[in-house]
Amino acid sequence: MAGEGDRARAPKRHKSSSKAAAVVEEEEYEYPDDFDEDARDDNEAKNRDFSKLELKLDHENRPLWACADGRIFLETFSPLYKQAYDFLIAIAEPVCRPESMHEYNLTPHSLYAAVSVGLETETIISVLNKLSKTKLPKEIIDFIHGSTANYGKVKLVLKKNRYFVESPFPEVLKTLLSDEVISKARLYPEESHGGEGFTISKSLGEIETGHEELLNRMELAAAAEDKETHSFEVDPAQVENVKQRCLPNALNFPMLEEYDFRNDNVNPDLDMELKPQARPRPYQEKSLSKMFGNGRARSGIIVLPCGAGKSLVGVSAACRIKKSCLCLATNAVSVDQWAFQFKLWSTIRDDQISRFTSDNKEKFKGMAGVVVTTYNMVAFGGKRSEDSEKIIQEIRNREWGLLLMDEVHVVPAHMFRKVISITKSHCKLGLTATLVREDERITDLNFLIGPKLYEANWLDLVKGGFIANVQCAEVWCPMTKEFFAEYLKKENSKKKQALYVMNPTKFRACEFLIRFHEQQRGDKIIVFADNLFALTAYAMKLRKPMIFGATSHNERTRILHAFKNSPDVNTIFLSKVGDNSIDIPEANVIIQISSHAGSRRQEAQRLGRILRAKGKPQDRMAGGKEEYNAFFYSLVSTDTQEMYYSTKRQQFLIDQGYSFKIITSLPPPDSGPELGFHSLEEQLDLLSKVLSAGDDMVGLEQLEEDSDGKALLKARRLTGSMSAFSGANGMVYMEYGTGRGKMKAKSKDPAKRHVLFKKRFG
Amino acid sequence: MVNAIKGIFISCDIPMAQFIVNLNNSMPANEKFIVHMLDSTHMFVQPHVEVMIRSKISEFRDQNSYEKPQ
Repeated sequence: MAGEGDRARAPKRHKSSSKAAAVVEEEEYEYPDDFDEDARDDNEAKNRDFSKLELKLDHENRPLWACADGRIFLETFSPLYKQAYDFLIAIAEPVCRPESMHEYNLTPHSLYAAVSVGLETETIISVLNKLSKTKLPKEIIDFIHGSTANYGKVKLVLKKNRYFVESPFPEVLKTLLSDEVISKARLYPEESHGGEGFTISKSLGEIETGHEELLNRMELAAAAEDKETHSFEVDPAQVENVKQRCLPNALNFPMLEEYDFRNDNVNPDLDMELKPQARPRPYQEKSLSKMFGNGRARSGIIVLPCGAGKSLVGVSAACRIKKSCLCLATNAVSVDQWAFQFKLWSTIRDDQISRFTSDNKEKFKGMAGVVVTTYNMVAFGGKRSEDSEKIIQEIRNREWGLLLMDEVHVVPAHMFRKVISITKSHCKLGLTATLVREDERITDLNFLIGPKLYEANWLDLVKGGFIANVQCAEVWCPMTKEFFAEYLKKENSKKKQALYVMNPTKFRACEFLIRFHEQQRGDKIIVFADNLFALTAYAMKLRKPMIFGATSHNERTRILHAFKNSPDVNTIFLSKVGDNSIDIPEANVIIQISSHAGSRRQEAQRLGRILRAKGKPQDRMAGGKEEYNAFFYSLVSTDTQEMYYSTKRQQFLIDQGYSFKIITSLPPPDSGPELGFHSLEEQLDLLSKVLSAGDDMVGLEQLEEDSDGKALLKARRLTGSMSAFSGANGMVYMEYGTGRGKMKAKSKDPAKRHVLFKKRFG
Repeated sequence: MVNAIKGIFISCDIPMAQFIVNLNNSMPANEKFIVHMLDSTHMFVQPHVEVMIRSKISEFRDQNSYEKPQ
C-alpha cells in the first residue's frame, strides 16, 4: 500500500530515521524505498545526525528510537510493537503512521493526557528507557519531568453533589489555597473550626489492563493499592473560577475532572444496559477502559475514525454511567441517527429518550432520560418559541450525568464555552474523528473538555477489517488551452476557482470514472463538490440527483433512500452538507471535484463517508474479495491553485498512512465523443457560461455550522425572497440583504399589486 | 535575400504555452518577446528572455506546490 505511484510532487516527510540508522546500524533495518533522502538543508542534517547516541547492547530487541527533541520513532515490525504502540499512544501524539515506521512527538499536551490516565512521571521514563534502543537523552528526561511536574496532581471530584478539590500531595493544595480566588471559594466542613487541615480519605488506585513482561513496573505502579488523598470542598457556584485559576496561564495545576457516578445518590438513575448483541470491538473496549480506568468517569476526548463505531462508544459510556445523558450533535440528521443508535444498542425505552430539534420537541417521561439535540439549539441566544423555551429551561436546571459531544472538532470554542456554561454536567465526553482544526483552537478543547483519552490507528483498524481498505488517488487533469488562458488573465481573478473546477478535462475524467465504477464494478458513488455552481452544472449534465444546503429534508431522505436501496440510483452529488454525519453506509467510491481551500478536516471527513464499506453484498461483486474495496479520487486541475490546496489536504491522510497514487492519463486518450465536452464548441460554450455567471454565483456554498470555512475563506452570502415574485407583499417577516449583489426591489406600486389586494391598502 | 532573425525555439505543453502568451501580453509594447506562435505547443521568441521565462515559470510552479513545514 505504501510507496507506489509517482512521487514527483510528494511532500517532504520526516524520515530522518533512515539517516540515523544508516549512520549507526545497517543490517537489520530495511526501509522501503519511498523514504525521501532529503539532505538538502545543512541545518536539518545537523538535527538528524544521531550518531552520538549510545546504543545499548541488545538494541535489536527493542522497538523504538527516542531523540532529544522529543521525537520518537517506532518500528512496526518489531515483536514488541503492539505493547509499545499502546504505551506510545498514551504518552505521545502520533505524527505519521505509515506501514513500517511510526513517528511520534512528545508534547506537554500528550504528557498531560498520559498523566491523566494515571501514568506517573517515573513510570513513563523507565518504560521509555526499557523500550528504547539508545540510552535516553538527558533532554528528554528533563522535558518529561518538567511537563509532568504539575499536571494531574489535582483532581476536581463531584461526590454526592458537592465539589471537592483532591490531591495526594497536601503541599500542592496549600499552593492552590494561597491564591485569592480559590481560598474565597473554599467551603469548610461543619466540624472543623476553619483550620488548615484537609480531609483525608482513601481512594482506589488505578486498575490498568496488563502489558508484557518488559513493562512489569507499569503494572506494579498501577496496581490497586489504596492511596491517601487530601481534599477540600469548594462552593459549586465558584467551580468555574477555580478551574480557570488552575489553568497553565495562571497557577499551572490543571485539574482533572472525575465523576464518581457509583456513589452518586442524588441524581436519579437511568436504567439502561447495553444489549447483549452489542459486542464492542477491542479498540472500543480500550477507549472505554481509559475513560473508566479507576471506577470513576473521566472527562476527555476519544478519537476514532469515521465508521469505526463512535456511536457505540458513546452509548456504552452512557450505559455505564446510568444517569441522565445529554447528547449533542451537529445537525438534525445526526440527531435522528444518534437517537436511532441509542435505541439500537441499549435497552432504553422509547419514552426515556427524546429528541430536541426545530422539528421535534419531545420530552421524556420519568425522572431520568436521554436528550439528543444540536449545539445550535442549546447555544442559541435569541428568542425561542414557548415549547423550546420550556425544554431549554429543563436542560439548564437538570444535572446531567454525561454530556456526550459528537464531532467535537467542528464546533467553535466559543460555542462550547456557552454550552458548557449553560449545562451542568458531571462528565464530558467528546467524540471525534480528527483532532485537526484549521483555526488552531484545538488547545482550548483540551482544557474545556478534557485531555485526549484514546486515539485509534487507522491502519490497524483496516488490518483488523473494521474499516474499509481505501485506495486514494489523485487524478491530474490538464487545463484546456482556452480555460487556462482565461485563468491566467488578471481580470478573472475572482473566477479562478470556477475556471479550474469547470475544466472540461476534469469533467470528462469524472464522467469516465463514474461510468467505469457503475458499470464494471457496480459500486455506489458519491461525488463531492464545494462549489455550488459546479455541482449544479455537473449534476445536470450527467443527470444525477444532487443534495445541497437548500434541499428540503424530505427530498434528501427520498434521494438517500433511493441511493441505498434502488439499483438504478448509483451516483449522487453532494455539497458540503454531506460532510457532516449524513449516514450513507453503502458507498464505496468518492470522487472529489472541488476542494475547499485546503481543509484537512474536510478531507478526513469525506473519507469517513466510505470507511464503513466493508461487507459488500456478494451478488454485487464480480469476483471474490478484493484487496481494495473503497476508492477515493481527488480530481485536480494541473498548474492551478488547486494543486496547492490539494497537496495540503493530503497531508493528514499521508500522515495517517494512506498513500496517494497519482493518475495522469484519465480519461484514456482514445475516448472521444462518448464523454461530454469533446468538441471545442461545447467547451467554448461552457467557458462563456462560466465567465458570464455572476461573481457571487461561482463562490462556495456557506453553511451555518462551518467555522473552518469562515476561518479559511470569507465568502458572501446573499438572501432573496420568493414572496416578491408571488406578490405577497403583506409579509409576516422580512429578510434583509446587505444590499450587495442582486436584490429584487419590492415594489409598493399599487398598480402592480395582485387584483385581490388592489383595494386593500387604499 | 533572406532575412534571418536569431531567436529561441520553445516547445512545451499547452498550459505552459498559454502561460507564456499571457506573460507576453502583460509586457509593455516594446518588450513583447514572442516573434511567432507556430501552434499551441511551439513558439519562437527573442533570445534574451530565456532566463526570465524560466524564472517566471518556476515561480508559478512554486506558488502551486505546497511544502509541508518541517
